[in-house]
Amino acid sequence: MHMRLLVLYHLSCAYESLRSNRSRTILTILGVTIGIASIIVIMALSAGASRIISDQVDNLGGAVAVVRPGTTDTEPQLNNITSALAGNKTASNLTEYDLEDVVEVKGITSAAPLMIIGGDVTAGDNTPKEVSIIATTPELIDVTDLTIREGQFMDTVTSRETAVIGAQLAVDLFGTEQAAGRTFQTHGKTFTVIGILKRSNNPINYNNVDFDHAAIISLESGKLFNQNVASIQQINIRAINNEQLPSIIKQVNKKIAQNHFGEQDFTILAGSELARPASELFYAIGATLTIVAGISLLVGGIGVMNIMLVGVAERTREIGIRKALGASNSHIVWQFLLESLVMGLLGGLLGYGLGYVVAFAVARTFLTFNPVFNWEIVGMTLGIALVVGLLFGLYPAIRAARKDPIKSLRQYH
Amino acid sequence: MSAATTPPVIALKGLKKRYGMGDAEQTVLDGIDLKIERGEFIAIMGPSGCGKTSLLNILGLLDHADDGDYLLDGRSVDTISNGRRARIRSEQIGFVFQSFNLIPRLNVIDNVALPLTYKGISKTKRLLEASKILSTFHLSEREYYMPWQLSGGQSQRVAIARALVNDPSIILADEPTGNLDSRSSHVIMEELSDIHQRGNTIIMVTHNPNLTSYASRVITMLDGKIATDTKAPRQKRSKSALKRRLDAQRKTVKKPKKTTPKKSKKGAK
Repeated sequence: MHMRLLVLYHLSCAYESLRSNRSRTILTILGVTIGIASIIVIMALSAGASRIISDQVDNLGGAVAVVRPGTTDTEPQLNNITSALAGNKTASNLTEYDLEDVVEVKGITSAAPLMIIGGDVTAGDNTPKEVSIIATTPELIDVTDLTIREGQFMDTVTSRETAVIGAQLAVDLFGTEQAAGRTFQTHGKTFTVIGILKRSNNPINYNNVDFDHAAIISLESGKLFNQNVASIQQINIRAINNEQLPSIIKQVNKKIAQNHFGEQDFTILAGSELARPASELFYAIGATLTIVAGISLLVGGIGVMNIMLVGVAERTREIGIRKALGASNSHIVWQFLLESLVMGLLGGLLGYGLGYVVAFAVARTFLTFNPVFNWEIVGMTLGIALVVGLLFGLYPAIRAARKDPIKSLRQYH
Repeated sequence: MSAATTPPVIALKGLKKRYGMGDAEQTVLDGIDLKIERGEFIAIMGPSGCGKTSLLNILGLLDHADDGDYLLDGRSVDTISNGRRARIRSEQIGFVFQSFNLIPRLNVIDNVALPLTYKGISKTKRLLEASKILSTFHLSEREYYMPWQLSGGQSQRVAIARALVNDPSIILADEPTGNLDSRSSHVIMEELSDIHQRGNTIIMVTHNPNLTSYASRVITMLDGKIATDTKAPRQKRSKSALKRRLDAQRKTVKKPKKTTPKKSKKGAK
């Protein structure tokens, strides 16, 4: 009771004191605001980036797993956010025999390979720089979050020389998204476009392929360009349901391991693991940026401490009076600490708002995904803001409380 | 009479206080023995540097004595914690300063209510108490003035109201009239005298020998020691003080009477 009343009293004191020095308070709070805002921008955007992939998996019902060559340690693939797996240096050891065995596993509704081939595609004078050629089977449409905008996807009866291309590739090649029936050349062969994918604007996905820039051809053609060997970078698997997924993964693992003479030279990822490669990169960038933001927050905190020390010096006489009238050291500590906490908290709240405005502006202008709002970020921000207020207010407050009342009363003001 | 049953409000024995170190060491209080009973009005006189203010600071628990005993209400306060000292200041001691020491950011009523804050009294009750005490000082209409809008005499009356608001056992006044002209000084002394009449214990440090006439006991100090300690014929002094006060009040009451006949005259015309 006693304490609660005093906290209320000190809060009103803090409000009064902050209000009476308005411009200086605003500038100090601004320092904290900027620091908090930069942290918010980074957290909201990196959370947004890692949510994209989990959303894609959810769109497919969640029961998705992928098989990739190499072990988890040797498989960061972090550089493949927008470019294809073609840049991968290790040769893939997944083959169509593995795919055949995987398809036989009970509980798998469909499975499709991703064989990524280097090289250019050309139509007339146009040879777009940014392109991924993907050789796959018709099942891909079932195991990947893809939508056909025009025409059709490959099926069992379409000819080898047909292709489905991404919307942006269509524009780059033919100057229009209405490209069905047009032809392009790659590896000395001519392909007819039978379908255009709906623009996904989603370079971040668990296939590590930007489908907007992809030319999808049949696995047979892909093999042809690779001396008749299917070198598969990823097998996408979709299971009947989530409950069976773990046992299916176990069986897939067993089958492929048999083909590979018992060597565990491949990795099966499912659930949140799918998001890992991309989000790890984002968290790495995020961590770096957070340190930078942390430094700006530190500067903001030093501003708070500076202004609090000025306030303590200015109010030395007041401290003396208050002590003479019965204020204990802890009363004085609380009086000043609450002032800095209020500044920290106001900075936190404003920074939260500003951070989201900036995050949205950045996302809309430069990125293909939205920042994420969640209670974790709210809690963390307010926590950080309070810690800043506490940390940088404590020393001035203790200094205020330690002042000798007699000397303080003698100070002229 | 009552002294036999209740302990003196203040009892000092061999109180010593030194400042500085080594060659610069200076003894400001050199063995003070003093007993102050409840209801006394004490004036402490003496030249500058004789230790009056240091004594007052120790009595008010703002400072520690280096040596000797200090019993407040019969209990020793030499070894208690800083927190307890603050508690005692808030509950038993009221300060009146030469320079008023109102907090400039707070209005009159908030200044007066300040000591109650540290006793943990709720805001409404604090303001009620402060308002009550301000009305006894005829300052009700000044409750929401800021300190800089008050005259020196008014400021000091507000400060006295603040010292009294938590009903302390002793009031310590350090040259309460030092910054005031002689007319305001007497108004303030009348107030203190009035408070004394109501049974409060007052210890006042002053340079002005004229003001000792209000006190019931005059102590003069020299070089950190008590030089003289004389009890004034209390009844007579206070009576005359009271009389003067009543006279002053009568005068103020008369003033409006003066205006009413004027009005009636106008009416008659």
